Amino acid sequence: MTVQKEYYEKPIIVRHTVGLTNKFGRNPASTPMKMIDGYQISKLIENFGSPLYVVSEATLKRKYKDLKRAFESRYPNVQISYSFKTNYLSGICAVLQNEGAFAEVVSIFEYEIAQRLNFKGDKIIFNGPDKSKSSLELAVANKSVINVDSFEEIYLLEEIAKERNEEIEIGVRLNMELNYPPWSRFGFNYENGQAYEAIKRAELNGLLKVVGLMVHAGTYVDDVQVYQKMALKYVEFYRIIHERLGITLKYLDIGGGFATINTLHQSWLPATQTCPGFDDYAEAICPILLNGITQLGVNPPKLFMEPGRALVDEAMHLITSVISTKRLSTGEKGIVVDAGINLLSSNQWYRYEMQVTQECGTMVENTNVYGNLCMNIDILRNAVPLPSLRRGDSIIIKNVGAYNFSQSLQFIQFRPAIVMIRFDGKVELIRKREDTNYLLQLESVPQDLKK
Amino acid sequence: MENYEINQRNFEEEFTISPNGFLFDHVSGLTYTLNKTGLFILRRIGEKKNASEIVMEITEKFEVSQERANVDFQEFLVQAKEFGVL
Ligand SMILES: Cc1ncc(COP(=O)(O)O)c(C=O)c1O
Repeated sequence: MTVQKEYYEKPIIVRHTVGLTNKFGRNPASTPMKMIDGYQISKLIENFGSPLYVVSEATLKRKYKDLKRAFESRYPNVQISYSFKTNYLSGICAVLQNEGAFAEVVSIFEYEIAQRLNFKGDKIIFNGPDKSKSSLELAVANKSVINVDSFEEIYLLEEIAKERNEEIEIGVRLNMELNYPPWSRFGFNYENGQAYEAIKRAELNGLLKVVGLMVHAGTYVDDVQVYQKMALKYVEFYRIIHERLGITLKYLDIGGGFATINTLHQSWLPATQTCPGFDDYAEAICPILLNGITQLGVNPPKLFMEPGRALVDEAMHLITSVISTKRLSTGEKGIVVDAGINLLSSNQWYRYEMQVTQECGTMVENTNVYGNLCMNIDILRNAVPLPSLRRGDSIIIKNVGAYNFSQSLQFIQFRPAIVMIRFDGKVELIRKREDTNYLLQLESVPQDLKK
Repeated sequence: MENYEINQRNFEEEFTISPNGFLFDHVSGLTYTLNKTGLFILRRIGEKKNASEIVMEITEKFEVSQERANVDFQEFLVQAKEFGVL
């Protein structure tokens, strides 16, 4: 007779400390998250290896639709333009493109990603402080939306206008006092009159025509009053340039910056309680713009927005597996997992939520989660309440879609594969795991040193 | 397998252990939680079983290799000793 043996948990003993126990019973940290969009996480690891980034197409679509609805129900003419830098995986950009998003790019690399995805030129917004003459020529030829960041760009565009013998339409990026710290190094300052001077200067020679204004307040702005202030200043500035310079705008661009449900390190409350919804942002911005602009006697210009984080943060997760478990000399519990901080740059801002993906018992202990980089600084998080894990068990680090992939570094290890769980439930590889050939293909060894 | 060395305390008199793993140490006044395997081990230490007996019993009851059970057992001892439970 064979006896069914019991599930084995690694034995632990935890000393109670005042403040650690609570009245909620089973700690949510010990409740496994076994599936993403109905797909078994264990299957994903089996098929694609660990670590693994997993993108949810359903979440991307839902976020896009929610944002669009929130603004379109309050303003007549809205266009979302996805901020590529947040995560320029082609698969992700393509999902948002199919939903109707424009591309917001800040480099020739990002511009070329958009071109390869067949974004039409006039559906690309070209921003950023580093636009070469050749990249501006390309953007002008393609009729892309160009928001100038500096006087140098105004001069370059004048040259291009002369060479092409045509007037070029531009937008002007402004910075204004909205929050702390102010993003004052991009574009032209509103309060000290520099923005007004830049517009006057741009139109001086009849080569450029100012048709848009753009402001980006910062990133993870969880105070809707910031956008309210922006809307008020936009209305006031529009009045000034309309009355004094006779300018009629085709668009106002409010940038990105909407917050997500990830909690910042310095925050006491979980962001699920503090993060405004899309409706809150829209309500802060749209009525002020619409009323104010209507009073000027002009049609409301198109409202561009450039969200990044708000669309992708919650649409991607990182699955990583336990390599070893440690009991530190301090008595603290540690685990080493197969993903390092090189894959999780926003770890410096966020207290990422981590959860086991299989049953590991119900008792949790504060656990330090270390990466696999052989560097002392490679700490994914300290003191995460986790149940007792064994080598091979995996955890999911949730909502890592914004900036982590685009800022990921290849360091020591190969960067992992990335899969997308499609809307129909199928899984597709959208980026292969790196390998040595791929990483060394740009290098060469001087001929005389070769063995 | 080496046996363990501990400062064997009198389990009957000094501890109250509930079946779901709550441990009260009457001497220090401190409280602990054990998971089911931790509790299983502590009970057997209280019964003065030696290391190989305990590890064998673990492998008989739970789905785990002897190697794994032994490593975890040793780690558990380190932690329990550090807390002064053993
Ligand atoms: C010009 C511009 N637009 C949009 C964004 C996207 O910001 P977020 O990801 O916070 O929405 C950024 C990011 O900093 C930006 O610099």
